Amino acid sequence: MAEVHVIGQIVGATGFSESSLFCKWGVHTGAAWKLLSGVREGQTQVDTPQIGDMAYWSHPIDLHFATKGLQGWPRLHFQVWSQDSFGRCQLAGYGFCHVPSSPGTHQLDCPTWRPLGSWQEQLARAFVGGGPQLLHGDAIYSGADRYRLHTAAGGTVHLDLGLLLRHFDRYGVEC
Amino acid sequence: MAAAGPSVFLLMVSGQVESAQFPEYDDLYCKYCFVYGHDWAPTAGLEEGISQITSRSRDVPHALVWNFPIDITFKSTNPFGWPQIVLSVYGPDVFGNDVVRGYGAVHVPFSPGRHKRTIPMFVPESTSKLQKFTSWFMGRRPEYTDPKVVAQGEGREVTRVRSQGFVTLLFNVVTKDTRKLGYDTGPSDTQGVLGPSLPQGLPP
Repeated sequence: MAEVHVIGQIVGATGFSESSLFCKWGVHTGAAWKLLSGVREGQTQVDTPQIGDMAYWSHPIDLHFATKGLQGWPRLHFQVWSQDSFGRCQLAGYGFCHVPSSPGTHQLDCPTWRPLGSWQEQLARAFVGGGPQLLHGDAIYSGADRYRLHTAAGGTVHLDLGLLLRHFDRYGVEC
Repeated sequence: MAAAGPSVFLLMVSGQVESAQFPEYDDLYCKYCFVYGHDWAPTAGLEEGISQITSRSRDVPHALVWNFPIDITFKSTNPFGWPQIVLSVYGPDVFGNDVVRGYGAVHVPFSPGRHKRTIPMFVPESTSKLQKFTSWFMGRRPEYTDPKVVAQGEGREVTRVRSQGFVTLLFNVVTKDTRKLGYDTGPSDTQGVLGPSLPQGLPP
């Protein structure tokens, strides 16, 4: 069986209008993939940047997969939330990106979006906060029901991921 | 009869904690330590270190330079738990107490070659304004009981932090027998430069 190691960090996020941000992340794979070690999902710290506007999480990612097939290459999905001084959380964006398929270190910039509601919901969000959220998290990384959504852009999540592949050349796979 | 292949690979890291950028602070020193998984063991070199105290100079006012050497070799059977270097930076506050100015962590790069990393440094923050004032006054700021927490993902969701500086590190990485064990680490990237505000390095 071929093995894939994803070793890196969710560095942080830029471009969001709110400043105290945190991120809930997860990884989704196809049926041929098995996670041998590492945690499949997590939540970062809440960062309030003093210098510049990039919120830094430096959240380590260390995943070890074994796979029997190439379908369902792992995808990382993110939900970026902002937390205010009272401890209330508001959704800032959803995003996903595929784990790169070539070995080595990669710097990834993942754009995010958030669902827009009706104009009444947008007005309420501007004054009171809140706003619509997805009921099922799988719309973040799958294209199946996206046509129902109307969304607006959020900021960008930055990642530094390193990929280590093992035994892919035994199976004739070129990466 | 085929000879038995190696079961262990080696990772040798040499380099330095080069400098720091903390616009609001001066007179800083740093401590580093390595965090690694259960399959890893250091075979040579120092796992921890404390640097000198550095101040801004009139000639180069924006940089705080340590130029502090790092030299360690690990052996392992599994890339899971790849070593991370955890840095903690400390400095004096207005009253002269030693307080923490930032924590940061980054994985040691795994492709052989020279790599520069600039990592953000953050401190835990008190939640209430009263606690912020008392900790400023008493000189006892919120800090992690074990800085190694910064290298882990679990338990981070309850922490609130403030990022307030950067540290630049240089690594030279040499590996042994990773290819013999079947691992492909990608192109070795000399002069590779990665960091939040720096452009990506050129391919070899």
